[in-house]
Order: sequence, then C-alpha cells, then structure tokens
Amino acid sequence: MLFRLLRKSLRGRKGRIALTTLAVAVAASAVSVLLNVTLDIGEKVGRELRAYGANIIVSPKQDALEVEIGGLRYAAAAKAAYLNESDLPKLKTIFWAHNIVAFAPFLSGTVEIGNRPVLLVGTWFDREIPLPGGIRKFRFGTGNVREVKSEETRFRTGIKAVAPWWQLQGRWIANPTGEALVGSALARRLQVNPGDLLPMKVGGLQQSMRIAGIVRTGGAEEDQVIVELAAAQTLLGLPGKVDRVQVSALVKPDDALALRGKRNPQGLPPEEFERWYCSPYIDPILFQIEEALPAARAKALRQVAEAEGAFVRRMNLTMLLVTGLAMVMTGFGVAATMTTTVLERRSEIGLMKALGADRSQIARQFILEASLCGIAGGIIGAAAGAWLSRLIGTQVFQVPINPTLITLPFTLALAMAVALLGAAAPAAQAARLDPVHTLRETL
Amino acid sequence: MESPTVRMEDVSKTYPGPVVALDRLNIEIAEGEWVAIMGPSGSGKSTLLNLLGCLDRPTSGRIEIDGVHVTPLGEKQLTTLRREKVGLIFQQFHLVPYLSALENVMLAQYFHSMADETEACRALEEVGLEDRLDHLPSQLSGGEQQRVCIARALINSPKILLADEPTGNLDEGNEQIVLDIFQRLHTEGHTIIMVTHDSNVGTLADRIVLLEHGRLVTSQVPTRDPFTAPVQPGVPLTPS
Ligand SMILES: Nc1ncnc2c1ncn2[C@@H]1O[C@H](COP(=O)(O)OP(=O)(O)OP(=O)(O)O)[C@@H](O)[C@H]1O
Ligand SMILES: [Mg+2]
Repeated sequence: MLFRLLRKSLRGRKGRIALTTLAVAVAASAVSVLLNVTLDIGEKVGRELRAYGANIIVSPKQDALEVEIGGLRYAAAAKAAYLNESDLPKLKTIFWAHNIVAFAPFLSGTVEIGNRPVLLVGTWFDREIPLPGGIRKFRFGTGNVREVKSEETRFRTGIKAVAPWWQLQGRWIANPTGEALVGSALARRLQVNPGDLLPMKVGGLQQSMRIAGIVRTGGAEEDQVIVELAAAQTLLGLPGKVDRVQVSALVKPDDALALRGKRNPQGLPPEEFERWYCSPYIDPILFQIEEALPAARAKALRQVAEAEGAFVRRMNLTMLLVTGLAMVMTGFGVAATMTTTVLERRSEIGLMKALGADRSQIARQFILEASLCGIAGGIIGAAAGAWLSRLIGTQVFQVPINPTLITLPFTLALAMAVALLGAAAPAAQAARLDPVHTLRETL
Repeated sequence: MESPTVRMEDVSKTYPGPVVALDRLNIEIAEGEWVAIMGPSGSGKSTLLNLLGCLDRPTSGRIEIDGVHVTPLGEKQLTTLRREKVGLIFQQFHLVPYLSALENVMLAQYFHSMADETEACRALEEVGLEDRLDHLPSQLSGGEQQRVCIARALINSPKILLADEPTGNLDEGNEQIVLDIFQRLHTEGHTIIMVTHDSNVGTLADRIVLLEHGRLVTSQVPTRDPFTAPVQPGVPLTPS
C-alpha cells in the first residue's frame, strides 16, 4: 500500500520530483567527478607535471663535490666517478619500480668547436630495455615478505620520455655514430643548420658529425651538443660509463610518516619502516634507488617534487570544496521543494493522521520519496559524472580519465545522504502536523 | 446499566484567545445509541467531535471512550486509540484526490494494520459502490464520495462513528441515500454521533444534544414529527 500510495502521489507531482532528482543528480555528478578525477588524475597530473623535468637525479657517490654552472660541470675531485650503463635497468627492479615512469642517462665531456670549449652530452633518446618481469620479493625486519609483481618485460625510456617538451627543428638522430643534435643557442652562435657538418676536436683528435636537428629545450641543453650515449662514450673514451641519470618518478606528497622517515628511516620502528618503505614518497624511492645502485647517490629535485605535491593537494582540496558546496546547495534545494510539497499536501497529511496514521507512517512517505530521488539522482549523476570526468580529463588536464565503477557506491551513498538530509526537516514537519488544524483549514 | 461507550465529565475546551469552546460538558452515550449534536454555529459541536475522535485533548475534565480514560494520553496513544475505536466522516468528505475509491478505503486499513483489497471491496459494496471501485474522487458525485467516506470510516470496525454534518454538502436525493445507510448502521448496532444543522436529520437520532456557547442546553428524545420544531427545550434527559 505504501508503494501504491507513493506511486500515485508522485504521479501528480512529476515536475517537482524531476527537479529534486535533477538537483540530487547535480550533486552526485560533482561527487562522481571528484572521485573519478582524484582517483585517476592524481597520478596522471603527476605524469603531466613530470613534463617539467625529472624529479630525481642519480649521480656517482664520489661525485659529491660536483657543481654544475650553466650546464658545465666543475668537479672539485681530481678524478670524476662514473656509473655503469649496464646497471641502469636495476632502477626498474626496486619496490616502487612501477612509479619510475622514465629515466635517461647522461655522459658529458668537453670538446672544442672553433677553439671554444663546448659540452658534449650523450644520452638515450628512445631506448627500449628488457626487464626481468615476474615477482620480486622484499623481506622486512618485521618478518613480512612483500611481493611486487611486474607484468612489464620491456621498458621504453630516454630523453624523449624524461623531457617530452623538447622542440626539434630538423629530425632526431638516425645514425647514432655519425649524427648529433645541437642546442639552439649554440647553433645560433656557430651559425649552423640541420644537415651541416659539425667539426669538433676531442682529445686532440679532429672529428666531425652531421647535424640532424637543432633543439630548443628552455634549459642548459641549448648550449650543448647532444649525441647518442654510445657515441659520447666512444668519443670521450669512457665505454659503458654514465655520469648522471635523470629519473622521473611518481611520488606521493609527504605526510606525517614521510616526515618521520626523513632523517633516518632505518631508525624507525620496524613496522613503521615497512610502511614507509612501501609508500611512494620521494624518500623511500631515493632510498630504494641507492639500494639498487650501491655506487650511486640519489637526490630529489625538491622544488619540482614539492610543487607537484602541493599542486595535486590544492587541486583536490578545491574539488572537495566545490563538491561539498554542491552537496549543501542540493540539500537545501531538496529541503525547499519538500517543504513546498508538505505545505501543499498538508490537508492530505492531516486527513491521514485523522485516519490513524502515526508520525512514522507520515514521515515514511517523504523519506521514501526522497530515497527514490536520491537513487535516481545518484544513478543519473554517476553517469553524468563519468562522462564529465572524461571531458574534464581531455579538456582540462589533457589526459584521458577512465571513470571506475568503484566510485559508484560512494556516489550513490552520498546522493542518498544528501536527499535524506534534505528531506529530514520537511518530513519531521509533516509528521508533526496537527490534524485538527489542517482539516479545519479546508472546511 | 453497563458502562457507556462515551462518558464526558466536566469537559472544557479553551482555545487561546481565550475562547471557551466547550464549557463543563457532561454527556454519556450508550453503546448502539445514535446521538445528534445540534446547536448554532460556533457552539462547539465540531470541538466536541474532535475530542471524541481523539484528535484533540480537553483543557480539563475527563473523557472515557470504551472505558479508556483519554485525557492523560500522549500523542502516540491517542493515535492508537483513534485508529482502533473511531471512524470519522466529514462534511467535506476528505478523500485523497489521487487515490481511487478502493484505495481510499485501503489507506485507512493500511494505517490501522494491513491493506486488504477484498475486505475494502466488500465495504464499498455495503454502501452500494461496487461499480465505482476504481473511480477517483473527482469522478464521483458528492453522495458517492460521502459513501466512500462512510465505507472508509467503517473499514476497521470502530467502536463509534463520528460524523460532522455528513449531509451538509449533499442534495436531497443523496442526503436520503446517506441517511438510509446511517439508519441501517444504527439498526446493525453501531454507535453514531452526528453533528447536524438539519432538524429533519436530527429527528432520526435516538437523542438530540443541544449545545449553545459550549454549554449543554438539553439532551432529549426528538419528536418524530418533522413539521413541528424538532428541538423542544425543557425536557432534560441528562443522565444522572
Ligand atoms: N483552533 C482554534 N483556535 C481558536 N478558536 C477556535 C479554534 N477552533 C475553534 N475555535 C472556536 O471555538 C468555537 C467553537 O468552534 P466549533 O468549530 O466547535 O463550532 P461549531 O459548533 O462546529 O460551528 P459550525 O456549526 O460553524 O461548524 C468557535 O467560537 C470557534 O471560533
Ligand atoms: Mg463545525
């Protein structure tokens, strides 16, 4: 009977019910967008921001006193130290290997062009390296063993992945041993163009390479000659060596645990250390890189990492506020429409009470009505939110967002909560109506 | 004599103002009795009916319905009592406009306990509406609406039927149909308390209670002659 009553009573108020449902749908879509975007984009925005540079630099341990000014390295130590190129795939075997999205090794040395020293840098442009794949096990002081499974068996990386914003006039290197890229500032100074031959003196020997393209990077590379790593190793007489690796890693903003682990992670209690190790903050990733490459020292390029964390945090906060606001507004909207309904139906409610309905039987009708609007609005809102998240992804963040079903129960629950909270006061008001008064009014 | 179905002792009702709507009223109504309540407008007839219908509580005095002392009850208990003991019939019918005749009757069942379509159909048959079950109130004549209202009032087998000018909005033909139903209910043994302005209607009752300014003027057996003044003061029948 309750449902029959509800169905019939709703039939006469389609417009208002539609409006209430729509209001709930708006709030629900905001919730759905918030959830989908924060779940999916946190990582993707990280990737997007990574376009502004690597956030970790890995260098040889003995190289501590090195200073870099204007792209030129001045080593205080007499003998420069190097990492082995063959060790680099180990970066993709650490606990948080999945979060290492790209890296590029560098080997630099000075050459002479037109009697002036110029920095020659070798790197990977676009390299595919094989990965061991399978399951990696990590044993902790707590006795726990954590397994990390990796399905990746190859990993494509290089400078194109680490610095995708590089702009090229001409083309990328096709012949690794005979071609070079020239930074735009250097090219201007030397007055060279793609296709020209670039003569240089390396260790007293005359060499020349064909210029494949001119690069604009917005950084120190604009004054450098960039070649394939292997070519640099041959020219500089350092086969298999690397003096620096830039790493792009997805990291989580620091929180209390990250801060506790900052100074001396191994001083943390074992359970906490395990938790720290297994959280993708910047520090555990650095820690794990040094574990994988004992001869290396990993440093965070803090500014980028922190700006990134702050940005993601701020974005999430903004979305949370907007969503909260949408929910509050909808709550009031539901309350307002419901109150109107109660006022309109007051004689009917009075009659029901005169017929013996108690408060809960009256309130139930409004609660049920609100629940229906909540569910319908929630479903519509979830669908609209999924669609909107995609749109926001492509239009605002330039990354595809894939809405997930995990967000559906939360969206529905919050839509329901908004509808019910909005209906609470009007339902109570209806339940309290005095039958004598309301019936008299219509006499 | 067994205890009366309704007993009012020194019942007063004062509305804020203050308006004394009922002033120290003493009335007893026996089971199966048909009482007509009459009096000028504003004399407190509806107020009295509301009190008996457990829709309201007296300011002072004692009301017993079917042996239950009503005055001290809370809202919840009043609601329960109303559900169990009282059937209400209104001048304005008060049917839910979007529900069919049948559903309007079932609604009262639902609030009481459980909707039972067969039983509701039977109740409408009793008032001659078996072919109007699925009509909306707007598709029914005034008389038919009032008969739905009577079926609804009877559906939970109440102890007393309270009717506030049930024929006030009806033309003569319909009034007669409705009064016939009341007469039948009376012979079946229902206790009926009916407010009316119409002395012809009043004469059908076992007793007329005349109110004036909230006070009981007389309580008397009506003269059955419709051409003489129906209410003749001076023959008090106040039980004592
Ligand atoms: N809620 C209220 N607040 C204040 N005064 C009220 C209220 N209800 C009724 N009254 C007053 O109480 C008195 C009795 O009212 P009641 O409705 O019982 O009269 P009645 O005999 O039914 O009149 P009528 O024949 O016009 O229906 C009237 O003076 C009325 O104005
Ligand atoms: Mg009245």
